[in-house]
Parts: sequence; C-alpha cells; structure tokens
Amino acid sequence: MALPSAAADPLNQSTPETTENNLQPFFVLHKASSSKSEKISNGTGRTRRRIDLPPASPKKTDKSEDEKTRERDEHRYHHLRKEAFELVCSKIDSIIKDVLRDVNTSVFNEINRWVCESFNAIKSFRTPGFTEATRSFPIVADATCKKVFTGLVLTRNMEFVDDLLTFEDLGLFLRSHGCHVAKLSSLDFSAKNGIGGCLRGLLRQCLMETVDAADISILASWYREQENHNTPVVVIIEDLERCCGSVLSDFILMLSEWVVKIPVIVLMGVATTLDAPRNLLPSNVLQHLCPSKFTLGSPAERMDAVVEAVLVKECSGFSVSHKVAVFLRNYFVNQDGTLTSFIRALKIACAQHFSMEPLSFILGGLLVEEKQKGEKSGLLPEEILTYTSQLPSYARNQMAELNGKSFVHGFSELKRLHKCWSTAVLCLHEVGKCNKIRLLDLLCEVLDPDLYIARASNNHVALEKDSGVPMAGVHGIRRKYSTSQKGGFICQIVRKVRDLPTVTLKQLLKNWKKISLNFLEINEKVKDLQSMLGFEDGQFKPNVDDISKRHSSWNPLNSEKVSKAISEKAAAFLDWLVREYLRPIECIPLHEIVCFKNVEKLQLALIGDPRRRIQVDLLEFHKILKCSCCSQSGNVLLPSMHDTSIMYTLAQEHGDLINLHDWFQSFKTVVLRPCTKRKHKSKQSPLPKKRKDMHESADKSEASIQLVLGLSTLTIPLSPPCPTSVLLEDP
Amino acid sequence: MGKEESPQVTRRTTRSSSSSTAANNAVEATKACDSHPLTINDLVFGQEPISLDDVLSGFPGRRVQILELVRLLGPANSPMLPLFIYGGASTGKTSIILQIFRHLNRPFVYSSCRMCYSPRILFESILNQLFLHRKNITNGYSSIKRCERPSDFVNFLREALTSVINNLNDNSGTSKTKRAVARTDGNMIYLIFDNLELVRVWDKSSTILPFLFNLHDVLKMPELCLIFVSNSSPDTYYSNMGYMEPIPVHFPDYTEDDLRQLFMRSQTNQKLYSSFLDVVLRPFCRITRRVDELSTAFAALFEKYCEPLGDLEVVPNEQIKRRLFSQLQPHIAASMNEVFKVSSQPSPEGESNKEIKQKGSKRKSGSCEEIDELDFHMSASAKYLLISAFLASRNPATLDASLFDSMGGFDGRKRKRKPSQKSLDHKEAAEQELLMKGPGTFPLERLLAIFQCIASVGEGTIDEEEQGNEGSGVKSGDGGLMSDVLLQLSSLCNANFIIKGGSCPLEGSTRYRSTVSEDMILKTIKTVMWKLLVTWPSTEKILWRKSAKKKIFNAIRRKQEDEVRAEQHYRLRIKRNYNNIEDQMGKIACLQPQHDGGIRPKKKKEGNNGRRHFSELQGRWAR
Amino acid sequence: MGREKVAEEALNLLRSRLCDPSFVFKPLSNSPDSNYSKLKFIISSSVTEACNNSILLLGPRGSGKIAVLELVLKDLLEEYPDMISVIRLSGLLHSDDNCAFKEIARQLCVEHHLLFSKMASFDDNSQFMIAMLRECGLAHKTVVFVLDEFDLFAQGKQRVLYSLLDAMQSVTSQAVVIGVSCRLVCSLLNYKITTECEAVLSWDSDEFNENKLEVLTIDVICRLCFLDADQLLEKRVRSRFSHRKLLFLPPSKGDLQRLLEHILSLPIDSTLPHDYAVEFNAKLQNLSINVSVLIVFMFRSLSNLLLIDHDTRFRAVSYMDLGSGLLSLENFITALSTMERQPKLECIKEYKSIHDAFQTSDYYARNVCFRAFEHLLQRELICFTDNRGHNQSVEFRPVKLLISSHELHQGLKSYRSCPVSCSWKTCYCVHPSMTISSAKGFFFYPYG
Repeated sequence: MALPSAAADPLNQSTPETTENNLQPFFVLHKASSSKSEKISNGTGRTRRRIDLPPASPKKTDKSEDEKTRERDEHRYHHLRKEAFELVCSKIDSIIKDVLRDVNTSVFNEINRWVCESFNAIKSFRTPGFTEATRSFPIVADATCKKVFTGLVLTRNMEFVDDLLTFEDLGLFLRSHGCHVAKLSSLDFSAKNGIGGCLRGLLRQCLMETVDAADISILASWYREQENHNTPVVVIIEDLERCCGSVLSDFILMLSEWVVKIPVIVLMGVATTLDAPRNLLPSNVLQHLCPSKFTLGSPAERMDAVVEAVLVKECSGFSVSHKVAVFLRNYFVNQDGTLTSFIRALKIACAQHFSMEPLSFILGGLLVEEKQKGEKSGLLPEEILTYTSQLPSYARNQMAELNGKSFVHGFSELKRLHKCWSTAVLCLHEVGKCNKIRLLDLLCEVLDPDLYIARASNNHVALEKDSGVPMAGVHGIRRKYSTSQKGGFICQIVRKVRDLPTVTLKQLLKNWKKISLNFLEINEKVKDLQSMLGFEDGQFKPNVDDISKRHSSWNPLNSEKVSKAISEKAAAFLDWLVREYLRPIECIPLHEIVCFKNVEKLQLALIGDPRRRIQVDLLEFHKILKCSCCSQSGNVLLPSMHDTSIMYTLAQEHGDLINLHDWFQSFKTVVLRPCTKRKHKSKQSPLPKKRKDMHESADKSEASIQLVLGLSTLTIPLSPPCPTSVLLEDP
Repeated sequence: MGKEESPQVTRRTTRSSSSSTAANNAVEATKACDSHPLTINDLVFGQEPISLDDVLSGFPGRRVQILELVRLLGPANSPMLPLFIYGGASTGKTSIILQIFRHLNRPFVYSSCRMCYSPRILFESILNQLFLHRKNITNGYSSIKRCERPSDFVNFLREALTSVINNLNDNSGTSKTKRAVARTDGNMIYLIFDNLELVRVWDKSSTILPFLFNLHDVLKMPELCLIFVSNSSPDTYYSNMGYMEPIPVHFPDYTEDDLRQLFMRSQTNQKLYSSFLDVVLRPFCRITRRVDELSTAFAALFEKYCEPLGDLEVVPNEQIKRRLFSQLQPHIAASMNEVFKVSSQPSPEGESNKEIKQKGSKRKSGSCEEIDELDFHMSASAKYLLISAFLASRNPATLDASLFDSMGGFDGRKRKRKPSQKSLDHKEAAEQELLMKGPGTFPLERLLAIFQCIASVGEGTIDEEEQGNEGSGVKSGDGGLMSDVLLQLSSLCNANFIIKGGSCPLEGSTRYRSTVSEDMILKTIKTVMWKLLVTWPSTEKILWRKSAKKKIFNAIRRKQEDEVRAEQHYRLRIKRNYNNIEDQMGKIACLQPQHDGGIRPKKKKEGNNGRRHFSELQGRWAR
Repeated sequence: MGREKVAEEALNLLRSRLCDPSFVFKPLSNSPDSNYSKLKFIISSSVTEACNNSILLLGPRGSGKIAVLELVLKDLLEEYPDMISVIRLSGLLHSDDNCAFKEIARQLCVEHHLLFSKMASFDDNSQFMIAMLRECGLAHKTVVFVLDEFDLFAQGKQRVLYSLLDAMQSVTSQAVVIGVSCRLVCSLLNYKITTECEAVLSWDSDEFNENKLEVLTIDVICRLCFLDADQLLEKRVRSRFSHRKLLFLPPSKGDLQRLLEHILSLPIDSTLPHDYAVEFNAKLQNLSINVSVLIVFMFRSLSNLLLIDHDTRFRAVSYMDLGSGLLSLENFITALSTMERQPKLECIKEYKSIHDAFQTSDYYARNVCFRAFEHLLQRELICFTDNRGHNQSVEFRPVKLLISSHELHQGLKSYRSCPVSCSWKTCYCVHPSMTISSAKGFFFYPYG
C-alpha cells in the first residue's frame, strides 16, 4: 500500500533504509496488537481483521546515502516517538477506563441496593437451619418463597462486546460489597453441556475447586459452611439472548426450588428488549422469576462521554482531523456500534500518527512537560526546525524567521487555541444536551475547517491565508455554509438557546461557568449573563424562588420580555463563542504535529478487506520476501518463485475454474525448468543436466508434493468457489 | 408444587420451645453451623411430627388423596407395593407426601429428578443419604461412592439398605423402651422419586426409567418401598418393556372452591380477602387453576385491592366492597393478560431524574434517532439487515424482483387503487396461510441481495444527517456496510432475531429465518421508514398484514396529527401518506437545499441501482 | 383396643403376603402339570445327569415366572444342598457384557467365598467364569444362570449370551441358563392398557364375550412366544440354545378365586386369636365369589388382569377398616373404583377448562394463550411433531394431538361441557397437526 502522505513526508525522502525502519511498522503493529490482545481478553474477537494489515507499513522506498549521524538521530527520534506513543496511549487508556467507570457507578449502586433488599426479602421468608438447608427434600413453603429475584440489566446495545467489561466491573463491585459472585456466560448454558455445564461453572467459581459431579446440593452445603452465610450469592449471566433456553429454564427451576436454602440472586444482561426472556423461557419458568430491570447507559451516551474526555478535552495532546472524526462517527453508527471498535479505531489512529509523524514525539514531551515545567524534553532544535519548516501549515503562514523561540511560541499558541476550542465546544454541547444533540455529531461539525472558513469569510475575518484550503473551495463552502446555518447543529443550538425556559437557562449558565473556569474572557461574559439573570454565585437557591416569586407577582409579559432578552443575550454569547473560539485544529499552524489527518490509512486499517490484500501479496510476493532472484523479472513465472504464488498466478491465468490436472501440469512445467534455475530454489541435491530425465519421476513426485503444499496454503486466501471446485475435480 | 404451608407457619413458632431433638439439631446448627455427624434420625422429616388432622387442614380439597395415601402406606412395618402419585403441576403432590411423612415420622429418602439431572447424580445422592454421608469441604464435596451404572447402584443400594434397616431395627428395638419424639417409626425405608417425568428428558438411552420401575422387583426387599411422584399420568411412561405397574394415586386439579379455601387459609383478614376472592377468583379460574400462577397474580392484585384501605383489619361492608371493586376493575383484565411482569426498580430521586435525563438524551439525531422507540442500540447496517431478513422470510422469493425495482413499486401502487374483491380475499387466504406456516427460510445470498438494495437507499438517509460530508464519510459508510455484514448477521443471530434454519437438502447452504416480531420490525423500520416507503411503495403492501399496516399508519398519524384524518378510507390513507412522507422529505430537503426536489430522481436512481444490484448480486452471491 | 391391634396384625400379615410373589404363586405350583413341576424337572435333571441345559420362561408381567423359578430353586437348594449355585442377572442391569461378566464373577466369588477384585478386566472375568465353570463341572456342581429380562440380553451383539453358552459347550461343565422374558407380551400389554378406556366403554359384560376375549388373548400370547426368542437370537447363539420354552399364562377365573382365598384367608393356627381368624375367613368365603366376578367384570383387558387384580386386593386390604377388622365387599368396590383411572380424561378436564377461557373471551393476550399451550404440553395432551426445531419460536412449531377424539369426547361428557367447546375441539381433532398460532385462530373463530 503506497502512502501518499508518507511519501510526501520530507523525512521519508531523506531516511535511509535501516533495520529500525523495517522494524518500525512491526513495532507499531506489535504495539497495537498488544492493545488488541487486551481487548481480546475482554472477549472481543472483532480485531482479527487487523492482523494481516499492518496499520502502518511505510514502505520507505527511497534511495539514499546513509550517514551515521542521521541514522543515530533516526534511532533516537524513533525511540522518542515510541516513548511518546506509550505515554499517550496509556493516558488515553486510563482516561477511557475512568470515564466508563463513572458512567456505570450510579447503576451499580442501584443494583447493589436492590441486591441487598431482595436478600433481606429472602431471609424474611425463612432462614432454614443447617440440617434443614442441607436436606435433599425441599422446604415445604409458600409459592412466593420460590421466587428467584432476577435483575434484568438492559445493556442497550445489540453487540455485547462493551458490556463484557461492564459485567466484569459489576462483579468486582458486588464482590467488594460482600456478595458471593459467580459470573456465567452463554457458553455455560450451551445445549451440549446441558444443565451440568452451568452448574459446574457455578460451583467452580463459588467453591474455587472443581467437582466432578456438579450438584446443587454441594452449593447448599458450601453455603452453609461459610462462616458468613448471611451474604447473598449473586449469579451474573452476561448475555441472556445467547443462552440455550431449555438449559436456562432448567437452571432457574432448580434455583427456585433451592432459593430458600441458598439465597441466589440472578442478574441477567439483556441486550435487546424485555421480550427476550419472555421469548426464551416458558411461562412456568417465568412465573418463578421476580424480575426488576436496570438500564445501563446507552452506547451513545458512553460514546459522548469518551469523546468528551479524549477528543474534546485536552487530555493528551493527540487530536484528530475533521475527516477522521467523520469517519469515526460513521464507523460507529454504521458498523457494530460498539465502544470497543471505536476505541480500537482511535488507538489505531494514534499508532499510525506516531508511526508517520516525525515530530509527533513532541506530544510525549508535552505530556511530560505538563508534569514538570521544564525545557522542551531535550530535542535538537535545528533538526526540528528543519522539519517544521516543511510542515505545510507552518510554511503557509509566513511566520517570522525560524528559531526555536518562535517555534515554541507557535506551539504554545496551538495549545491555547485548542483549549479555547474545546471550551467552546463544551459550552455548545451543554446546550445541545437539552436538544439531544450527540457530541460526536457536534464534533464532526465543529472540526470542519471549511465551515470555519466560511464563518470567517462571513465575518470578514481574513483567515483564508492560514487556513488549509485554497480559495477555490469557497464557492462550495458557501453552499455548505448556508446549510450549516440552517441545518447545522451549531445553529440548531443557537436557536435552542433562544427559547430556553429561564430555569434551565440558569442551570446552563452555571454549567458554562463551571466549564469556562480557566478562561477569563469567557468566564467574564458568563458572569455578567448570570448577573443579568440576577444572582451571584453565593446564593443561587434564594434567587430561584425569588425569581419564581417575581414570575408569580409580575405580569407575565414583563418577565416574558426579561427572559427573552436574556436568552437573546445568551444566543449572542454563543455566536461570539463560535466566532471567536471555534477554530478547528486544522486551521491552526503546526497542527500536523498533534492532529491525525490521514483517513484513508485508518479506513484501510479498520475495514480493508484482507482477501484482496492477500491476493495482491501473492501476486507481488517479492516485495515481501525480498529475494534478489525474481524481483527484477516482471510477471514471467520463474521456478524460483514461491510455490503458492506460482500456483496462484497459474490459477489466475486459467480463470475462475481450473482443472486440477491442467493446473498440476502447468505447475510442473514451471517448477521443473532446466535445473540450473532449480538450483537456486531447492538447495537439496543439485542434479546434473544429463541425468535429469531419469529423475523425472522423482521430480514429478516432488512437484506434486510442492503442489499439495501450495494448495494447502492456497485454499485459505482464495475465495471459496475456486479451490473447492478444484479439489472436487481431482482426477 | 409445594405451597400449602400454614401448619408449619403456626408450628414453627412453637417449635423452638418444644424440645424435639431434630428441631434442636436444626436450631443449634444455625447457631454454630458445624456439620454434626448424621444419624439415622436425619432420615425422617426432621421437625416434630404433626397430627393427621393438621395435615388434612393444611391441604383443603385434598382430604381423599391424603387418606388414601395414609391407608396405602399402612401401619408401621407393613410392606407395600410401589406407589405412583401423579397429577398436574402445583396440585400439592410433593408437599403432601412430605407432610404425610412428617406425620408418620418414618425414614425416607427424597430425590428430585430435577435436582439430579443425570443417572450418576441421582444414584449418588440416594446413596449419600442412605450412607448418612454429607458432602463438605473436608471430603472435597465428593459423594461417598462413585457409581454410574445401574448394576453398581443395585449392589451399593442393597448394601446401604441392609445397613440402614439393621440400624432401624435395633433403633426401633430400643425405642420400644423409650419413645423419643424424633425417633423413627417402623423399620421401613421409603425412596421418593420426585419429578419423575424429567427422567424421560435427561435419560437419553431410556434405560433408567424401566430400571426404576423394576427396582422393587430387582432387589426383593420387603422393607423397601418406592414412591414415584410425577406430573404426567402413568400411561405416558410405557416403554417397550412393561413392568409391574405401581399403584396409581391421582391428584386432580383444584376446583374453584378448593382454591377459595386454599387462598383463604393463611389470610389474616378473612372477610376482606373473601370479598377480594369474590371479585377475582372466578375470572381467573377461567384462565388457569394452577395455584402458583394464581397466587402470584393475586398477591399483586390484593395489594392494589387494599390500597385505598387505611388499616387491613377493617371488615368491609357492602359499599366499601363496591368501592374497592370499582377501583380494582381495570387492573383485573390487565393482570389476567400478563404472564411476566417486570417491575422497574424504584430509585432515589437523584438517580430517578438522572434516569429521566437519560431517557431524554436517548432521543438523538443521527441514524439511530428512534432509539427511544427501539430502546436499544443497533447499528444502521444491522437494522437494514434485520429489515431485509424480515422481508426475505415474510415474502415469497418470487416477489423480490417486482418488489425491489421502483417501477414495480409504482404500478403496484396503481394496482392497489382498484383491487378486485376476489384478489382481496385471495390475499386474505394467502395471509392466513402465511400466518399458519410462520416465517419462511431464505438462503444467505438472497438476504444479502435484498440487504444491498435496501442499504443503497438507506445510505441516503444516513448521509443526509451528516452535514456537508458526502465525500469520504459516505464512501467509508457503505464500504463499511458491505465489509461487516457477516459480522452483523452473526450478532443478529446471537440476538435471536435471525435463526439459522436447517440447511436445505438441495443446496447445502444453511438457510436463515427471521423470528423478529412485527412491532419490533415496525420500530426498526420507523428509523428508516420514510425512505423505504417513498422508494418502494409496494414494500409495505406486501410487507405487512392489515393489522400491521394499521399500526404503522397510526404511527405516521401520530407524527402528523393534523394531516391524516382517522376516519379516512384505507386507500385514501395510503395516498395521503405518500403526500405526508413527501412533505416530510420536503421538510428535510428544505433544510438542506442541495437535496431539494432530489427525491424523485434519487428514487429512480436508487430504484434502478436497486434492481441492478439485485440482479447482479444474485449472480455474485450465488455459488 | 384389642380388636384394633389384632386387625392391624392381620393387615400386616396380609400385606406382607401380597407383597411377596413367591407366596402368591405357591398354590399354582402344586398341580402336576404346572410350570413349576416342569421347570423343576428340567433343572433337577441337569443337576442329576450333569448335563447343560437352557430354557426360556415366557409370559406376561406378573404371571409369576420369577416367583415360580424362585420356588423351584428354593426347593432344589433344599434337595441338593451345595450342589447348586445360582447366578442372577437382569437384562436391565447387565445387558452390557462388561458389567455382566463382572457381576457373574462377583456372584461366583460370593458363592464360593472367594474375594472379588473390582479392578479385574473383562478378559479376567470371562476367564475366571470359564475356569469356575470347569471347576464346578468337575465338582459336579450345577451353576444356574438366571437371566431376567432375557430380551434385553438379546439386544445388540449378544456377546454375553454367546460367550456364556459357548463356555458351557466348550468346557465340560454342567450349567443351566434360564432366560425369563415377557417380550412382545408386554407390548401387547401396552396396547391393552392404552385401549383400556374403549374396552371399558364398548364391551358389555356377558360371559361369552369375555371368554372369547380370553381365548383370543391366550393364543395371541402363544403365537408371540413362539415367534419370540427365535427371532431375537442370533444364529450363532440360537444354534447353541435349546429351544425349550415354558409359557406362563394369566390364571383363569378359577385360579383367581383360589388365589384370592389362598392369599386373603388368615391362618387358623397363628398368633391371631382363633375366633377372629375364623370369622374373617367365613366372611371371606361368601365374599370371594362375587369379588372375583366383580373383578373380572370390571376389567376386560385380561392380559394385565392379574396385575390389576393384585393391586386391587392390595388396596382392598389396605382399605380394610380397622374398626370391624373385617374385609367387606365395599372395600373391594371402593378399591376397584379407585383402580379404574382414566388419566387422559382427567387431563382433558383441565384442558377444557383452559380452553373455555379461549372461546369465551377472544381478547386474551397471546402470552396467556401460550401459557395455556404450555400447560397442554406439560400434560402431554399435545406434543411437538418434531423435536428438532427448538431454536424456532414456539409459535410456529407444528403440534399434534396425543389423545383420540374418542377420549376427548369422553372427557367432555364426563365434564359438564358446553357444546361450543365440543364442536371446536372436534374440529381441533380433525386437524391433528396444526401450529399453535392456527389453533389460536381457531380459538378466535366465531363458534361453530
């Protein structure tokens, strides 16, 4: 895959081909796959597509004279970038984890409370003695005592990948609150293993030892042996839909007979709707359940939280361009709308950015710098400056002469602007929340440089010169601009502000104040807006009711007018925000350092199809195994080629359907060229030319062996019809 | 099954005071729960025996059966033939037999075939009880003997029984001298097999059932007696080899006044509850007579019934009754019709208003805008896949071609204008037939073809909402759609929306079938409906039966109350709907001028590429 | 009081008698041409002449095959002490050859006071058995193999039978293999029981009819027995098996009466007070005639006559009220009335009560209909025609009705049923296989 940006990169033209450079893509791949592996440990298998596509394989095809020093520098920068990548990636990871935990906490508390309540309810029925509880026969009891308290946790996402982590957390949470927790998945409820399977799983997790004959009476005696047999036993079933209905119903019936002896409380993750248990279980099982439902945050909400934390708020300097943001959004909306895939995409973007962008190690410097204010993490000014001078955005706006100071200044400027931007976005989103506008959509809009330029041109602020796009686009921009004024989210928001009721407006202002705490000018404006609404930070509450009193006392239109005016002001304020601060990252000089723009590569890494890729590799394999013998010869088949690729090309020549015999014949003719060539290929027993004929049979067998080997490898990449039909027609 | 409790309820209070060894065992075990070694006394019920009258009063409407059972069990030390107790679910079989044994205070071994889900576990649980063995941490929760084969089981069982019976004999010998309360009476040992009907389920190589039925003959021990408890009547058990059939005892279903007594039993305020039963019992008895179902239903209803009352001790007079009844009335029908009621957890208001906010913020723009109706997240491609699966399994494959090009759609609409009566009732019959057979299966490639057609339109709806990025965004969009379809399909299968049918014999490919309910699909479609309806008006004609059509039109009407009149005629309504929809589109369009009036040509285009897709896709996916 | 205790004692006695079959069948054994004497002759001949033997006892359940066999063995053991060792196998337990030989080895060890190792392999056990056979042959000890449920041994590869018979032929042993089976007779029995309801209803109670039926049953049984084991056994086994059969038939009415008196009459000389016993027996005498008539009259299906009659006596005895301490005709009648059960009909009542709901109230929610439907499933009035499609939603799986329309109508008649339900239920029976949804369609149909 050719990388236009990488090719355009000044660095790449001057980098020699060193082992580091060859290693680097693999390093990145390794890096990413490590993150992938930990996702796999979360249970998603979704990432397999990426394995055969190195997210960044910069084939730095460039003829260059190698100098020791450059090499060393390369090495150093490479290391710097590696460190930076690790820093940023870990930062992002930790942030995402925190965010997700915060999203779930309220629901978890709710669940915990419910568990305690239902446990008390069970105990209130009856607390059997030891002998009674370990008896085999059921305690003759009221039908209401045979109810299994069941919490249906609605993970409002059809894909349950994200929720695996959630249930993991939930289990830990409950365990920390002193419950026995056993986590069963649908694999335990497979029809193959039957009821024994899930019981075995349950016992294994409770008893911490495996019993050969899984029997629920064991659980009873275990529970009674516990010193603290006044804690509930919580069974978490992750994904209800995937379970085998009959097994699950058996399980529940069994529990319902024993629930007086073992206070089991079941938590089921329901991915789709509440009908799922209804469809899965027969009614005589359903009536043993005493259900109550809990709702996790929808993926959209979590997504907003993550986006806010990672992309909008300045967590790690890393940010994405408009196109990338749009791509991510579509990917989330159209693909499996899982957070996991989104995060994966983000990480890939990050990895690619660091693998491509030579200066990206500065980010790491920034992170460090936030910790201790110090010098610029010992980067060599002159080389940086040379790189920087080639950065398009930097080159575009003719800044003062290049020196470290101006560079540093430009960089801090970049950071400042970005902070402003994020503040503005957050303010907008505050309003958007009451208009149900998702931050992700908003992000797509506020990151759009064209819109910005359009706005700018509207406001006669000449920003075109340092904006990324030439003026030619302005015509198209006009159109979009108008749409953005009508249909765009920003103007929706502004419109929304106009007709906000006073109370929500107050709340809004408070939030704004909170957001813009470290921005004086914004904060000032918010403050006087608030004062206009007539309250200070100190006494908010009294003002509310005095406001309401006023409302009650005053004649309506007067208050009407007041609120109208205020909301007008607020709208004006928003307009001002948008005008002044809503400057997309792409319109800021030096943004290439922090901002990932290359959407094609990201797309390729995420949803490129591996089959075509493999076929391409098969056709030009010499790019991969860099053998000298067959790279120069174009498309003529040499015996020294790789068997599989030979067979593949032959198959291509034959077209869709190929008779195995013909295939073998042609393959043999290729492989058994005059053995001078074959010496290169097969090291074993170079045969003199004259005795070749009597070794024909040996060759034949050898060739057939090779053929079989080739086939065995070939059936994987090729699309099913061809090899199957081939193998069927074996003479 | 067991539900009649009241004798113990009264008794449990007195038990602690009464000095019965077993009860004391239980009590002190609760205090310091260390497992004391099991004695022969642990084979009896454990609590102090109750009189026969208690048993009888405990189970109203079961007098006959109880007396018969007691007779059949006979006096102490009298051998007997195997018993077979059967009757519908929750007719008190298990609890009655247990109570009778409590009354008789004889040793017995209970094993439920639900709990013991395999021969091995069944055998081992019986042996454990007979050998007075208890699984605990010290023996690693292992059972005393490991036996899987019936042959081993018989040997072990004989051994165990002899030991137990000897134990019993000298026990009874001593108990001649001093009778403690919890000493076991007689030297008979009874094996109770509960839920016998389940054996047929888990016993694949149907050998266990005949074995159990013949167990009495196999080991000829007069001291042993087998009691089978089953849901289903004896003549559902006949295998190809007979057996000495056990003595059947049938538990018929409760009659209505049995039920009344049953429910009256454990009530504090008899008057009030009887008045309550006057109201609810009769209608509910029409639906079901199973006590467990009724009791769950009544528990909730009675709370509602008592809500207006201040104190539950009030003796209701006529007008109170009337008032209560009047305000209970609406709930009855509802609770009669619901089988499974999910109560949302009441949460403190801090979370509750947060809940509200979540609910509010669920309503998003973007392609998943009807999340609040669909109330769980499904990616766009999954939605399209679901819809196409629904279409594929509800429509005959022959219709696809006509359905998925726009022309067919249009004259389909024209035809709709003047349908002949015959064609109508023909369609009715077809629908009836469809209803009978349920959703049909379809091969993968058909699904993908339809999906492609729908998605090609749906892409439009997606890229409309994202402002000003046709370029990369959309391309990536449908590229994504195609690349991930199979994953989506698998996850749909996992969510039980689509199920893999058996592979059809002709071509080996597995066939699929969508089981998603109609209103579910309606919700899904609403998120993308406008496009679909505009592009293929014939879609909904073939897609839904009349009822479903009504539903969706109501949905539309809710959207534009002012435009669609309820009393408009059906065909008129369709036509009007197109207007509405197109107005809708117009609205969207005038929000985005670049789409203005772009509906018609767009539709044509999509229709065309829809058809093209369809034809070529069939080709491409056909293997 | 004293009377009570005496009565209780008598009751216990009777119950224990009823519960051991060997006592029940003693009176049948003393006649010269009875199976008892035949069997005894065969075995004793093989004991005395030191030859191998094999015999098949065939007959319906409860016709006392095992009982008679036990009697014979008991007597023989008394006659020839420690010349006979009996190995009992049951097809239910030991049809699999591995555990069959294990069991044989175990019992041989027990018989000859050797110690048996659980760990012994299959070959060890078979070797051990052959060795033991040889030893016994040399010691002129007869080994009697009783194979209960013979037909189960005959299933599959019949390796047990083969190796057993083969061993008998190869070594000079003297052993008797006695197969006990009720194969095909019991399948007939099922047939009888399932058609019991019709039987009770359709047949009126004249002796002729009954006799005809009896004849029919008997020769059916005979035919079955003749084509029984021959068809079952493999050639290699059959060649080694002597086709001697003993046929056990259910007792005739006379026998029944004899049995009745034999079992129920109290012994005069016993712990029981004399006058009580006498009074009891006198009462019994004038009872027994019409009791047996009553029994035969109530139960047409003769093949399982003995079983049911057995239970009946048991119940009757258990109904014996301790107050009078005497058996009365009422006891028997109550016993019989409790005996005749028509489970399906009872189910049908429920069935109907469910479906009244449907056609009276068309507006019930579909999940309630499903619940009713599942009740039907639980009661096994209907079942899914295929058990494959469990992934498919229950709504569209074809079901079939498990009861005949005849039973259905019986149930409805016995229940005070409204004509509507009858009408549509019949139409339900007309389409025995339909999906539940369509059944719902029927519910929602206007009546008729």
